[in-house]
Amino acid sequence: MAVLTLEKVNQVFGTGIARVQVLHDVDFAAEAGEVSLIMGPSGSGKSTFLTIAGGLLTPTAGTVTVAGKHYADLSKKARDAIRLDEIGFVLQQYHLLPYLTVADQFKLVDKIKRQGNLDQAAFAGVLQTLGIQELLHKYPGELSGGQQQRVAIARALYPDPAILLADEPTAALDAARVAVVGDLFRELAIQHHKAVVIVTHDPRLIPAADHVYDMSDGVLTHAQSA
Amino acid sequence: MFLALKEIRKEKVRSGLIIAMIVLIGYLIFILTGLALGLAHENTAAIKSWDAAKITLNADANVDMRQSFLTKAQAGKLTKSEAVIGETAVVAKAKGHKQLSATFLGVSSQQYIAKDLQLTSGRAVRQSHEVVADDSLKLSGYKLGSKLKLNDASKAYTIVGFTQNAKLNISPLIYGQLPDWRALRGLGPDMAASAVISKDADYDAGTTGSKTYSAATVIQKLPGYTAQNLTFALMIGFLMVISLIVIAVFLYILTLQKLPNYAVLRVQGVPRKVLVGATISQSLLLVAGGLIGATLLTVATAAIIPAAVPMAFDVPALTAVGVGLLVMAMLGGLIPVRRVLRVDPVSVIGG
Repeated sequence: MAVLTLEKVNQVFGTGIARVQVLHDVDFAAEAGEVSLIMGPSGSGKSTFLTIAGGLLTPTAGTVTVAGKHYADLSKKARDAIRLDEIGFVLQQYHLLPYLTVADQFKLVDKIKRQGNLDQAAFAGVLQTLGIQELLHKYPGELSGGQQQRVAIARALYPDPAILLADEPTAALDAARVAVVGDLFRELAIQHHKAVVIVTHDPRLIPAADHVYDMSDGVLTHAQSA
Repeated sequence: MFLALKEIRKEKVRSGLIIAMIVLIGYLIFILTGLALGLAHENTAAIKSWDAAKITLNADANVDMRQSFLTKAQAGKLTKSEAVIGETAVVAKAKGHKQLSATFLGVSSQQYIAKDLQLTSGRAVRQSHEVVADDSLKLSGYKLGSKLKLNDASKAYTIVGFTQNAKLNISPLIYGQLPDWRALRGLGPDMAASAVISKDADYDAGTTGSKTYSAATVIQKLPGYTAQNLTFALMIGFLMVISLIVIAVFLYILTLQKLPNYAVLRVQGVPRKVLVGATISQSLLLVAGGLIGATLLTVATAAIIPAAVPMAFDVPALTAVGVGLLVMAMLGGLIPVRRVLRVDPVSVIGG
């Protein structure tokens, strides 16, 4: 069953001659245990797609459903709660809080969401999968870019969300690291039963994907399935 | 609180500098408050030691005890709650001592002011040309048995006792007898006093030519008293506002630097109230840290400051000032909160 669906989603910015339609009748569904890749050049509408899928922007038209709930029916607070409970974000720039150690980044989640986070055994598994169990007492400034990225992924997984939304996660990585990250997302989808949606213009991630979509001028087309 | 504490711990130098600035501002405010209280105390200590509720003066004295003379008829009938005083400015001179400006206060040994006078040493006045002086005269080298001349009087006065809190309008008091006051002022026996002091809040002499005021009114009219208090209040108020601006500016800059991080937290579903709470608690923690430092410095200052410096470290008043600074910190913390509330999570999507 799809945990994230977009149906006939349209997004328009501006009015009159400044009117720009960024998304055209986008239909999309992400299933648990699968990796979906949304590909396209800059300005094609990928980020708007991610913003709408994450509940940060209300589309001009269409329906977005996350874990059975329609965004349109939810208040802003309820959307915050959905993002906290059901969606893990991995952003292009990792934006870890610089004054929190790696362990404290997770403690912060505990302080905000007191129940439903990964238990100790599952959390230890995630840390091991990502290879960051030795970094818990370090600050982000003491980590390499790759380490920060893995911490950001663990941070996204810690509230045990149903969906993982990743924004250009390989933007600054070399080919070897891209393969590692691709494998990692695939492993997370299968082992942790997450619906992983990656927005990227990096074709090197295609081998890791179950479904590949093309975004061009706001039109989403299903290009291939594994 | 969690975020605020972690940030302060990680950014020790930055937090330390802000706290140091608040320590200095807090210390300055505490010292100024102490000085204001000390000077106010030295203006009014005597009146307060008399437990005065009402004061009767000559109706034409412009609410000034120094300018007031009451005849026996104007003083009216006195009960146990009333006492007359005769006030005059004097210059005390003694061999081996510098000249000293003071206020001579003639009182009646039969009335409550003389009876209730708390002596720190010596005994009460029993006869003419004996005086009980304020403790501050000891700092000028006077002691029990010292002889001093007042103004141009030929006969010396003998200090037979000392008392504390005997200051009026910052001038030390020298208590003596009413006939001595008359002699110093060159007045005839028909002049009863400068004022009638009453502990009774309902007292009113009601005699022709006199007028009864509340003690607070007379205190407000003490020369320079209101102007001095207003000056200190303005200085303390300005320092409070300066502290608000300093805290607001620092927090605003710190918050601006953190907005991308806050945007990410908003993306992750962290409620606004958590971020607002972090901002306000950070300002409160920094100011609380600064106030602790300022309090320690003030306590150290109080321990070493010479007795001649007119400072009073009144704990409730200083606590009120400290609470005022915390309120200012909260107000200062609210300014960057507007930016936190407007942070746009979409800004961090798409690199």
